[in-house]
Amino acid sequence: MSPATNPPDALALPLPPARPFRKYFNIFRASLTERLAYRADFFLSTMLRFLPVLTTILLWHAIYAAAGTGRSLAGYSEDQMIAYLLLVHISRMFSSMPGLAHGIARDIRDGNLKKYLLQPIEMIPYLLSYRVAHKAAYIATSALPYALLFFLCRDYFTLPTDPWIWAGYLVSLLLGFLVGFFFEATIGMLGFWFLQIGSFLYVINTMSFFLSGHMLPLDVLPAGMAEVLKFLPFKYLAYYPATIFLGKVQGEELVWGLVIELAWATAFIVMACWLYRRGLRHYSAYGG
Amino acid sequence: MGFPACGLAGREVLTRKREKREGGVTRYLRLWFALGKFGLLREMAFRGNFLARLAVEVLWFGIMLIFYDAIFAQTAGNPVAGWGRYEYYFFVGCYFALGGLIETLFLSNCGEFADLVRSGDLDFYLLKPIDEQFLLTCRDLDWATAPNVLMGAGLMVFALLNMPAWTFDPLLAGLFLALFVCGLGMAYSFLLLLMSTSVWLVRNQSLYELWWLFTTLMRYPREIFRGSWELVGRLFTYVIPIMVATNVPANVMAKRLLDPVLVGYTFAATAALLYLSRKFFRLALRRYRSASS
Repeated sequence: MSPATNPPDALALPLPPARPFRKYFNIFRASLTERLAYRADFFLSTMLRFLPVLTTILLWHAIYAAAGTGRSLAGYSEDQMIAYLLLVHISRMFSSMPGLAHGIARDIRDGNLKKYLLQPIEMIPYLLSYRVAHKAAYIATSALPYALLFFLCRDYFTLPTDPWIWAGYLVSLLLGFLVGFFFEATIGMLGFWFLQIGSFLYVINTMSFFLSGHMLPLDVLPAGMAEVLKFLPFKYLAYYPATIFLGKVQGEELVWGLVIELAWATAFIVMACWLYRRGLRHYSAYGG
Repeated sequence: MGFPACGLAGREVLTRKREKREGGVTRYLRLWFALGKFGLLREMAFRGNFLARLAVEVLWFGIMLIFYDAIFAQTAGNPVAGWGRYEYYFFVGCYFALGGLIETLFLSNCGEFADLVRSGDLDFYLLKPIDEQFLLTCRDLDWATAPNVLMGAGLMVFALLNMPAWTFDPLLAGLFLALFVCGLGMAYSFLLLLMSTSVWLVRNQSLYELWWLFTTLMRYPREIFRGSWELVGRLFTYVIPIMVATNVPANVMAKRLLDPVLVGYTFAATAALLYLSRKFFRLALRRYRSASS
């Protein structure tokens, strides 16, 4: 009963419960609450995002009018083109990871990384559950404005009837999330070796915006450039899911495309984890 | 012994400050120059970061060129919304130069305003013996975006040289420059208006994003607003004249389209906007209640 007997008791901690996912679920729940606290602000900025959507649609109307009525450009009819430019928003909703690499590099730089080393929690699964929560909140809060947008633009869309296309689309979006997450995480791990990666991130993000096909379908670019860009993993962040929805990739080609996407996702998972392990050996916990 | 002397000295300082305050334009130009030099020195302390930001701007410019080149390749060179290939390039150059000027001179300063309001640090700026609008919107120059002005100007010159029918007309060039300055004044006024709202909406962290979304309207020729959208085009031309900022100067120079009503309107709207935005800014300052202790 005396205080002196307490330390041995305290040391004999019970083993953690055999529910490893529970803590990550709790992280998910807490992050979701944090996100929803600013829902009004969030809703407003989502609404404002429609302005560029409108000007983009009008610009492409003008471009198709210039090309001649009824012509298709690089295999895209006018409706398909506008549908594509709307669909990349859905792709990016899954694949964009604002602040992820930056956050990892910051944790490494200022020594905050040690919280993952001291607590029974792994950095990558922690960040993953955190990000899934943010994505869930983002998708939930922007569902309404986006539903409105897609409803207003419904004439541009021909919904796929083949259930395999729907399945492939969903899989490509989820894999797109993984490619996006682990690509950013891989870049963030470079923080173990370089003090400042912020500037490098600027360049990467700008490149990615273009290379992923966010601005326009890669097919519209000059043939040689388009071929090269289709070999890179960036296309899974925006271009690839949208082309699946539009029925441009089907059957065996679709399956192979998804297998390659899975391979890229796996490659980035392996790379991020490997760099993390290597980096820890390099890490010397600066900061207070 | 000390008191009367101190009193005299203090009064003297105040008088001198008032005298200097009345020094007017040259004093502000000198100050701006000094602030710009200081900004450049600070940028040079983090050269790697500066170079990377520069690289992003160049990259972005390249992406825009690839984008429009691909588009005109698809239309087989046909004009888009009434703008031929090189006329459109001129428009893009004009937007790039104008956007670059706004970013270099004002955007980062205005972006910090919401933080100053939230933290109460605005007090320190209000105490300075200088015009608050000048201090808050011009105190720092962001040199990394300055080359955008050169790239935009370069693209404009390139576009003009590629127009077979184009000849240099000093009168037109002068009018273009005047209208371009008007465009800058208009964009600045809109930025000031947007910034001032931070006093009421304290959590307004994304002025950059708001500005980017808003300037989407400067980025394209207004002729893309056709059919049932024409009304929206008119709204952003006459009521909230943001589209005028790039469209009128580019039309005058690249297409020699001199619509006297629109040109006159541009001058009048610039003056009105500069006046109104200043009034609104001062109203916002009066509504400001220091946040900290």
